[in-house]
Order: sequence, then C-alpha cells, then structure tokens
Amino acid sequence: MTDNFIPSKSTPREAGDAKRRRDRVRKLRGFFRSLSSHALISFVGLFFLIPFLWMVLTAFKSSQDVFHTPPRWLPYDNVLVDVDGEKLPLYNVQTNDGVRQLAAAAIVEGVGTFVDPANPAVQMEYKIQRGEVKIAEPIMRVHFNWKNFPDAMERGSRPGVGASFWVYFKNSLVIAFISIVGTLLSNTPVAYAFARIKFPGRDLLFIVILATMMLPYQVTMIPLYLFFNDFLGWGNSFLPLVVPTFFANAYDVFLLRQFFRTIPEEMCDAARVDGASEWQIFTRLIIPLSVPVLATVTVFTFLWAWNDFTGPLLFLTSPKNFTMALGLQDFQGQRTMVWNQLMAASVVFTVPIIIAFFFAQKTFIQGIKLTGSKE
Amino acid sequence: MDKLRAKGRSWNWPPKFRKWGVRERANFWIGMVFLLPWTIGFLVFTLYPMAASLVYSFSIYHPKAPLEWAGLQNYAGLLNDKLFWKSLYNTLYMVVIGVPVTLLVSFFCAVLLNLKVRGQSIYRVIYFLPSIVPTVASVILWLWILNPNAGILNTLLGYVGIQGPNWMSNPAWSKPGLILLGMWGMGGTIVIYLSGLQDVPTSLLEAAELDGANWWQRLWTVTVPMVSPITLFNLITGVIAQFQYFAQAYVFRGTQNLGYPLNSTLFYSVYLYQNAFLWLKMGYASAMAWVLFIIILICTILLLKVSERFTYYAG
Repeated sequence: MTDNFIPSKSTPREAGDAKRRRDRVRKLRGFFRSLSSHALISFVGLFFLIPFLWMVLTAFKSSQDVFHTPPRWLPYDNVLVDVDGEKLPLYNVQTNDGVRQLAAAAIVEGVGTFVDPANPAVQMEYKIQRGEVKIAEPIMRVHFNWKNFPDAMERGSRPGVGASFWVYFKNSLVIAFISIVGTLLSNTPVAYAFARIKFPGRDLLFIVILATMMLPYQVTMIPLYLFFNDFLGWGNSFLPLVVPTFFANAYDVFLLRQFFRTIPEEMCDAARVDGASEWQIFTRLIIPLSVPVLATVTVFTFLWAWNDFTGPLLFLTSPKNFTMALGLQDFQGQRTMVWNQLMAASVVFTVPIIIAFFFAQKTFIQGIKLTGSKE
Repeated sequence: MDKLRAKGRSWNWPPKFRKWGVRERANFWIGMVFLLPWTIGFLVFTLYPMAASLVYSFSIYHPKAPLEWAGLQNYAGLLNDKLFWKSLYNTLYMVVIGVPVTLLVSFFCAVLLNLKVRGQSIYRVIYFLPSIVPTVASVILWLWILNPNAGILNTLLGYVGIQGPNWMSNPAWSKPGLILLGMWGMGGTIVIYLSGLQDVPTSLLEAAELDGANWWQRLWTVTVPMVSPITLFNLITGVIAQFQYFAQAYVFRGTQNLGYPLNSTLFYSVYLYQNAFLWLKMGYASAMAWVLFIIILICTILLLKVSERFTYYAG
C-alpha cells in the first residue's frame, strides 16, 4: 500500500519525510512479522514443551495430588502441623463458630477426627462432606516432593530380590560403557581399511557391509537368541548385549570411513614414504585427527545402549540384571499406577542424556546431520 | 601407476581376476587384519543367523524339540492367519498415515525454526529435546498424558470444548496416540530438514522474490524441491523404522496383553515377537521375518523408483 509511494520529483525535504515514513512502516511491519513468528513458534513449541514439563512436574507430586481433577500444573501437598510430635494435615473445617483450621488426626469412612493444634487435648468429629457441601477441606500449598526420587529409586520393580532402580542405573551405565569401548575399538580399524588401504576386493566388501544395513533385526534376532542363550549359555547376562559391539557395525564403519576420507591422502602417503606402517599411520595420524567423529560415535553409542529395550528384553531375565529401560517398563507393567514415582524414575532415566546433550550439543546435531547426509 | 589406477576407478565391479602384484598382495593381507573385527562379526552375527533363519523359516521349530522340515507350510500358514493380516494392517496404517503426517509436521517445524527470530537457538533446543528422552520413558510419559481422566491432553482439549477420546482403551484411537508420541520425538527428523533448509541457496529465494513470488510460493516452488532428496531420505528411513516398530507398542499396552486394545497395537514386529518368544513358534516367526525383509526391500525400491520423478538433485 505505502510501497506505491513514489518519491520522484519532490523536494529534498519531502523526500526525507517520505523516507522516514517508509522506514517507520517497514519497522512496524517487521515488528509484527517477528511477533507473529514468535507466536507461531511458541505455540507449536508447546507441543514439545508441555509433555516434558508434565513429566518433571508429576515427578514432584504427592500421591493424592497426582489424580486431582482437574489436573493442576504445580505439585501441591497438605500443609502439616506438629501435634504432640506427630505431623498431621491441616484442614479448613466449618464449625459452629465459623471456619477453623484444625488438624486431622484420623479420617474413617468420611468422618474426620480433628484437633485444634493449639489445644490438642480436645477432639472433635466432623463429617468431611454433607451432601454436595464440603465441610472439611484440606489446606494445600505448592510443595515439591523431592522424596519421590529416592522412593522411586529404592522401590524398584521387584523389592526383595536385590533389584532397585539404583541397580538398573548401574547396569545401564556398565552396558553403555562397555559398548562404547567395543564400538570404538572395533569400528575404527575397519573404517580405516575401507578409507585408506588400497587392497583388491575392498569395494566389493564395502558393498556387502552397506547391504547389511538393509537387513532388519528381526531376521537375525531368533538365531542370535538361540545362539547366545542355548549354545553359548550367555542368557541372563550382559554378554549378548555387549560382545557384538566388539565386532563392528555397518553404521559406525560408514560414519567413520566418511570422516577418514576427508583427511588428506597426501599425509598418509608422506608417512608411508617415511617408512610408517599402516598401523602407525592409523594410530598416530588418523586417530588423533578424528577426535570430533570419535566423539560423535561415543555419544551415539551411549544413546543407543542407554535407550535399547529389545536387547535387554530378550536376554535379561532376572530383575537384578535389568537395565533402566527394562526396569522402568517392568515397574509400569505391574498394576501399580504410581505415576509420580514412574515419572520420577523416568526423569532419572532421562537426566544423563540431557546432561550429555548440554555438554556435547554440537556433537549431537552433527551426528544427526551426518546420518542424514548419507545419500 | 598404482595411484593413477586408484584415482580413476570408483567401483571395482565385477572384480577382475588377474595376478596380484607384490604390493597388492601385501596390502590385501594388511587390509584383512584391519577388517578382522568386522569379518568375524559378519560371519557370526549376520551371515550365520541369516542362513539359520532361512532354514528355520522352512521348518517347524520349537527350541526344546528337534528341527522338523516343513517346506512352505509356515509361509502358507501366514496367508490364513487372521492375526498376521491384522498386524500387517496395523503396520501399514502407521506407514501410510503416520510416516507422511510426521514428515509433513517436521518439515513445517523446520521451516518455523529456520525463521530469523531472536532466541532461535532456544526454540531449537525445545523442539529437539523430546527426541532424546529414552523410548520407554517417553511411552510411559505419554500413557500418563493420554490418561482419559487425569491426563493433561484430554484436560486441555476439554478447555477448548473438545471431549477427548479414550486414547489407550479405544482401538480406533490407540494408533493415533502412538503417532502423537512419535511426533513428539521427531527432533532428529527436524534437525535433518533444518540442515537441508540452510543449504537452500539464498540467491534462488531472492530471485523468486524479485519475480514477485510470495512467501508461500517461494516455499512451494523453491524450498520444497530443493529439500526433496532429504524428504526421500526421511521417508525411506521412516518407513523402514515403522515396519520394525516394536518397543513403543510393547510398552504402550501397559498392564494388558500385547496388542491391547483389541489387537489394535499388534504391529508386525510385535506379533513376530509374540510368535517367537511367547508361543515359541520359532520357525513361523522366522518366516514372518523373511516376509518382513522382502516387504521392506520392495517398499524401498518402489520409493526410490517413484521418487525419481519427484526428487530434484542440485548439481
């Protein structure tokens, strides 16, 4: 509209005015455009943010607050008072002399026994509800129930067999750590051979390794299960989960090879001329130059091992060997809908990854982009 | 000479069988030593299981009883297995509806995150973070969110006057619930799209703008074709992942039987697992695995063929 303003044939002063006006319009339009952008991004962002917040907030709720309808955002808990050394919940009770704050000593079949915190000797009985009218209502306050975390961790899914989330957490860490070691040790030499050693048949073998990416896990799953479980007798141990990581896999070989190929070949050739063996070139030249991609592989192996559910489900049978993923599913699968503790355990399960993400944000994003640029 | 040949060739296929030089022979053995971890792994963890699985698929095999040759019986049995078709239908539902919807939304999210606004990096973190929540934790979280009574989603829907469905116990809504869960964790797809959007040359967009194309026209005629290879990549990986969809469905049924409600979450891989490890019909499950492999192969090739006409490769 104002764009149609043509500032030709005007005095310098008019031109200046017009320019200022145009600038103002442009600025205003830019402001509204950025405002609407922010509004749109934030609105869609709620879809990603709210479930996350809901997980954390639920983890802090008390058991009765979890099922409060309608749900409240912040965690609430009873206000407690000290009565004769006992912590009792405080209620607003409609008595004959108006609303009083009384502590509930006991509530049996809708009838509460209340005491005045200032004068605990006298007990009074009131019905909690008369028809639709609430006579006694608990006084709530915002309270973050940190105790849910140790409770959830201790409770575990199978009390009495030495299994708790602490054990699961440790198991997951052990498996992830050994997997990282195995993946780094086994994939780097293979990738180096495909990237830098020229030998007959190399390209044919590389096609084979790429082809194995196409094979769904379901095809090898059953024979592998029988092989590990019945033939080797490795059932209910970490071995079936970690030993395969010591024997390279197509994804990491591919990722590492792509990176190794970006290291100038002249450097390798110069080292060869100087009499370096392939092993020396690999360990002294290539590996030190590949720290970024090794970090990517480390992070993604950790993510994969930490997240893996199918492997532990197949091979780990006794609760003391469960991982976090399997333990959490097991906890949930029992008929205990303690959502606050489930969410607390989920938060504990997620926190190591969040920490890893904030320490290695670039590595995360780079790794995803690398897998995306496979084409 | 050696070097010249190495530079000139891209794929040595079919391999030429001729006498190897001293250098080549030495390199071959060095290469074999470096490849040893993979070679052993390939033989033990890929080739042997493939062969065994193929044999099982033609047999009746209970792990406690000897293998019994059955010819095509397992494959023929699949044709008459109602649950097999049900599981295939459920999986195709996710492939045909879930994958494209998720792709579309993640492209839209990437476009949003590519807008030049202040605090862009914070928005990106928020969109990405759910994708690193472990699968089991995210499924349990969504069971809680989709809870028909105390769940936050139906409460929020109630505020705008929509009566939310019984997500987990209504067979018509369990799969859309799982698609929502998948969309929540699509940060990886968004990141891949975002890197593609950043590679779209600004000169093209500016040229289109000079020609009078509005925002929508620029998106549709410049950006979408330019990121089409990424769409194809996301589509293929999404389809392959969806055919193997297992952990989410396994956890999602909660305390109920696999496939709850009414087999509506009995996906292909779930049914395969059920056959193999709950009913111990290892031969039947192996046949299912090979059928799955073939379906995935056909779908991938089909997508690659069809996409040739719709994908634009710059350069």
